[in-house]
Amino acid sequence: MATVRFQGVGKSFGSIKVLKDLSLSITDGEFVVLLGASGCGKTTLLRMTAGLETISEGEIAIDGGVVNDVHPRDRNIAMVFQNYALYPTMKVRDNIGFGLEAAKKPPGEVKAKVEEAARILNITEFLDRKPAELSGGQRQRVAMGRAMVRDAKVFLFDEPLSNLDAKLRAHMRVEIRQLHNRLGATTIYVTHDQIEAMTMADKIVLMQDGSIVQVGTPDDLYDRPNCRFVAEFIGTPAINCLTGEIVWDGETTHFSGAGMKFLLTPEYKIHAGKSVTCGIRPNDVTQASGGPIHGKLLIVEKTGADLQFHLSSDDGSEFVAVAPRSTPGTAGDNMSFSVDPLKVHVFDQASGKRIDV
Amino acid sequence: MKLGVLSADRPLVWMLPLVAMLVAFTIIPLIYNIWLSFHEYAPFRRRLEYVGFENWRMLFSDSRMWEALGTTMFYFTVVLLVELVLGMAIALLLDAEEFGFGFLRSILTLTLVVPPAIVGMMYLLIEDAEFGVLTYVLEIFGILDKTTPILATGSLALWGVMLADIWQWTPFMVLIFLAGLRSLPSEPYEAAMLDGASAFMTFRRITLPLLSKVIAVATLIRGIDIFRMFDYVFVMTSGGPGTATYTLSLYSWQQTFSFIKWGYGATLSLFTLVIILVIANLFIALAKVRW
Repeated sequence: MATVRFQGVGKSFGSIKVLKDLSLSITDGEFVVLLGASGCGKTTLLRMTAGLETISEGEIAIDGGVVNDVHPRDRNIAMVFQNYALYPTMKVRDNIGFGLEAAKKPPGEVKAKVEEAARILNITEFLDRKPAELSGGQRQRVAMGRAMVRDAKVFLFDEPLSNLDAKLRAHMRVEIRQLHNRLGATTIYVTHDQIEAMTMADKIVLMQDGSIVQVGTPDDLYDRPNCRFVAEFIGTPAINCLTGEIVWDGETTHFSGAGMKFLLTPEYKIHAGKSVTCGIRPNDVTQASGGPIHGKLLIVEKTGADLQFHLSSDDGSEFVAVAPRSTPGTAGDNMSFSVDPLKVHVFDQASGKRIDV
Repeated sequence: MKLGVLSADRPLVWMLPLVAMLVAFTIIPLIYNIWLSFHEYAPFRRRLEYVGFENWRMLFSDSRMWEALGTTMFYFTVVLLVELVLGMAIALLLDAEEFGFGFLRSILTLTLVVPPAIVGMMYLLIEDAEFGVLTYVLEIFGILDKTTPILATGSLALWGVMLADIWQWTPFMVLIFLAGLRSLPSEPYEAAMLDGASAFMTFRRITLPLLSKVIAVATLIRGIDIFRMFDYVFVMTSGGPGTATYTLSLYSWQQTFSFIKWGYGATLSLFTLVIILVIANLFIALAKVRW
């Protein structure tokens, strides 16, 4: 078990800077997810933690000890790779036990630990097969088994579920989380899938272009995104962003733009006249005839549990609203929705930063 | 356009040139060789005469043949092993992106373009007792003196010939192994590093098994070649001193062209072919080579 600390970490490949002055603290036993779009530097950061990439600037410390110049084999880290990186010529049994063998553990102990891991991961019957004879999901488990048997200080996962189908992915999410609960090991998990991040993380680190944008619990990022980028990255369907300005009419504070006008909390009065972007999550609106959010219905999508209404407002802005299955509406209808002012996220239009009151 | 007999659904037509070449240069000579092994040239009557199994009977009771076979097997084992081990070691060293390594890898092919007979001549000079550079260096270190010329000393001559073979063909092994090494995935190595494996353990448990097919094919190609080796001994020692460096190939050459025993020469070369076929197929079965 260990803490991990990143202090001013930077990484350049030639003249290209892929990570910029990154600082982050991970506490003992925490499950941290590095989330971001492809190319944002999250995998590079993970590989730097493992020692598979050099650190151009700053330092990375595990359990207080700086590991910048420590060889990967001496960092006591276990990693699950995106493509599993199993040893193709070894049986599953030897794949899982390889790390223990390298640590010169007695054969009896290796066997016991391998079998215990196989039992937990439900792959006992595959122990004598080669990786090529396994399905994607089974290989994934072997990779996890290999990480599990080592008493590593830190567990790293590099998009481990990206090669699995949707159903298996959902299943493995739960398994990885259960594994973490059982082992209690400090874990850094890289993904571009915000659902994975939301469902698994104790703490999400959202990255963009080599920098950290926001760090917080999944609820923090969902309920209080600190900028428009975070708001748009987290949540499905994606948040609606309407541009306009804050208006104070002497009694109430409103948002006015995109052909709509709706109430904001009175505290926004001090920002009256400011150009803003309002973010409203599709799930935060309720159908109400005469409601302030209105538009012509373009299409209705059925997700099974509920309906997604795609509206086009008077000025052409699109708006998505989620409503119960019973909500009537066919393409071409005019529909209206209302929103609780407390659920409206207000961002500065120029900087994209959240405006707090 | 009508292709008629050249259409793709008549493959035999397309295979004909290859089959014709195979028949002309492999099948017919082989059949002729087999036929020849049951005949012998009678110099006074100036014609080939049928001798039945006489050549084959002679083959198995010919002590010089057994000696040549022993020499060939010894040469085969030592040279193959050295080329394999040295080739792998150099390939592992060169499998890195260090400054100048690309150049080193590219000059490796140079030894392969030199005709083996020329390499034989080169080593004849290098190992010369009077002015050979190798003799000179060995003398400096007190390993050898002028009274024991390498290629004229029974116990050393074969080693001298091996040196030429190893110099010329180790780079071939290096190239094949390098191609194999460079095609290996990097992930298992990263995983092994994090698993705490040492460099030797990584090589033994990951690299070697992954390269096994490449190693097997290289061994097969070189093995067959080494077993038939002729050029170096022909140029460097002509089988001497005495019969110390007579290989099977050289011995069959001598019987055929020096002693004009065409039938016996053919029998010797067929015997060589049989041994190579047995060894190669045993190896293919044991090493599980498939293509």
